[in-house]
Amino acid sequence: MASDTINIYKPLRATLEEVIEESPLIKTFVLIPDEEFVFKTGEFIELAVDGVGEAPFTPSSSPLVTDRLEVTVMKTGYVTRIMHELKPGAVMGIRGPYGRGYPISEFKGKEVLILGGGCGLAPIRSLLFTLEHMKDDLEKVILCYGSKTPADCIYKPLFSRLNSIDKFEAHRTVDVTDDDWDGPVGVATALLDQISVKIENSVAVVCGPPIMMKFGTIRLLEMGYRDDQIYLSMEKNMSCGLGKCGHCMMGEFFVCKDGPVFTYREIKHNPEIWK
Amino acid sequence: MYYISIKKEDWHRSLENLLTSHDIFVPVKDEFSLDYEPFRLSQAENIAYNTPKPATPLKNFFLPVRENVTSVRNNGRSRIIIGAPNCDVVALGLLDEIYLDEAFTDPFYRNRRMNTILISSDCFSVNDHCHCTSYGVKPYTMEGADMALLSEGDYIFLRVISDKGEELVRQLLFAAGVSDPERLLFAGQRHSETEALLAELNRGLPDYQATGEIVQRAGGNIWVKYASKCVSCGACTTICPTCSCFLLIDKPDFEKVKQMDACQYPGFERVAGGEDALFELSHRFRNRYMCKYVWRPQKFNSLACTGCGRCIEACIGNINKNELFMELT
Repeated sequence: MASDTINIYKPLRATLEEVIEESPLIKTFVLIPDEEFVFKTGEFIELAVDGVGEAPFTPSSSPLVTDRLEVTVMKTGYVTRIMHELKPGAVMGIRGPYGRGYPISEFKGKEVLILGGGCGLAPIRSLLFTLEHMKDDLEKVILCYGSKTPADCIYKPLFSRLNSIDKFEAHRTVDVTDDDWDGPVGVATALLDQISVKIENSVAVVCGPPIMMKFGTIRLLEMGYRDDQIYLSMEKNMSCGLGKCGHCMMGEFFVCKDGPVFTYREIKHNPEIWK
Repeated sequence: MYYISIKKEDWHRSLENLLTSHDIFVPVKDEFSLDYEPFRLSQAENIAYNTPKPATPLKNFFLPVRENVTSVRNNGRSRIIIGAPNCDVVALGLLDEIYLDEAFTDPFYRNRRMNTILISSDCFSVNDHCHCTSYGVKPYTMEGADMALLSEGDYIFLRVISDKGEELVRQLLFAAGVSDPERLLFAGQRHSETEALLAELNRGLPDYQATGEIVQRAGGNIWVKYASKCVSCGACTTICPTCSCFLLIDKPDFEKVKQMDACQYPGFERVAGGEDALFELSHRFRNRYMCKYVWRPQKFNSLACTGCGRCIEACIGNINKNELFMELT
């Protein structure tokens, strides 16, 4: 039995190959793991800075690539602040993959609407790679994404590329404009008014800051989405990733093991999910 | 399942003999407390069998307060732990579900469980806050331990429950015979007496399921009221035989130290961006009750509170959870 020999707490080492500046606060870390690393889209990893700490991230790269891994990190707290100082050549630690990702097979034959905000585009990018790979089995993929300012938008080339792919469309908005921006201004949720989607044959994926997740979900319900058609990627303090340490409890769920992707139906009975 | 009997002095001499291959812990009573100590033949007369309850919850033998979980070490000698009350034995059920979970088995917990022979001890008396039977837990062990011990007069009776227990019987220095059922009549009587004491002590206390229902329904005021005496010291969770949350601390060379943690401490659920669902003390206070009586039961088969009452005894604010429940009833 594999569990007899595996130490669940021990990280796999990975060498930092490249650091890509995505926005003033967000960098993408390109990692070469010591061993092949296999994950499903939406699953997450614990990424460690040696001797400092580790934090949970959903890889932003394609699950089809197993010899390198991209992780997009916003400078937010203690660990990510130090992570942002790392230079290529640094050795990092990876534990995982953990949790329950997106139920991709259930998306077949459907229109997939993705609502994203801020750094929430990181896991979404990984999802988009997966959806692109299976686009023959999909009706349509619509991305609605909002960032605070045009400068805060990550993966800018992604949008024109998505719009060039058959069946894909991508929409962007910003909360606060600048001189170079001539697109929509407003929250990501407002983009939902511009799109055409057959709701009965659709699923919606929401990933972003808690406030956006909350109002995004409310708007999707108003549009006619059922609670089991809405997939939410929940963020909690996932520390061990193993369903043990308790830091990510959300009601009865260990978000790290039972999630991080939940349907709204699974969690709506808990009024504290948006906290 | 069967009983063996052995003269008390032969039992203790057998234990001494087993010290060559095992670490042995027994409940020892002194002027102030009752707690586990390493077995020494010279101290045998201070062993308090069938007495609730060691100050240290049984979990501490399997989940150390702090340990390095990346360095590989010899797992050490086999252990015999004697004298755990059944509330603590039943509490291991939840820890097993979490730490022996097939997807992610904790190798350190598993090794300790495998290396341990657990001899529980039936309770022949009760403490002020014992309330196991209110939650369906018996004050004696019929499963979950390797043996259960009953001390009567000059004899020790051992209820042999598991294969590991049977194996230990074979290792006893002095031949211990299968006991005549007639000699065990006292056991049933003791059990009934203890259960009657518990029923009297806890009259009106809601059962486990009913407690979950009233906790879930309770409005914010009751939590604010009781939390006003809470200082977030975490004594209740430290002493709880089922609380097992922890923190992983990173050390150089990707080593990790696992340290017991608790939802009662500020910042337990705080995320990097600053959001903290348990920022308010009363929310943290309520969280422990929701966890034990509402959320864990939704997710696990084992009890998350076995009625040991240690959290009541340990609270420096004199918060009595059972008074809270009675107020809600």
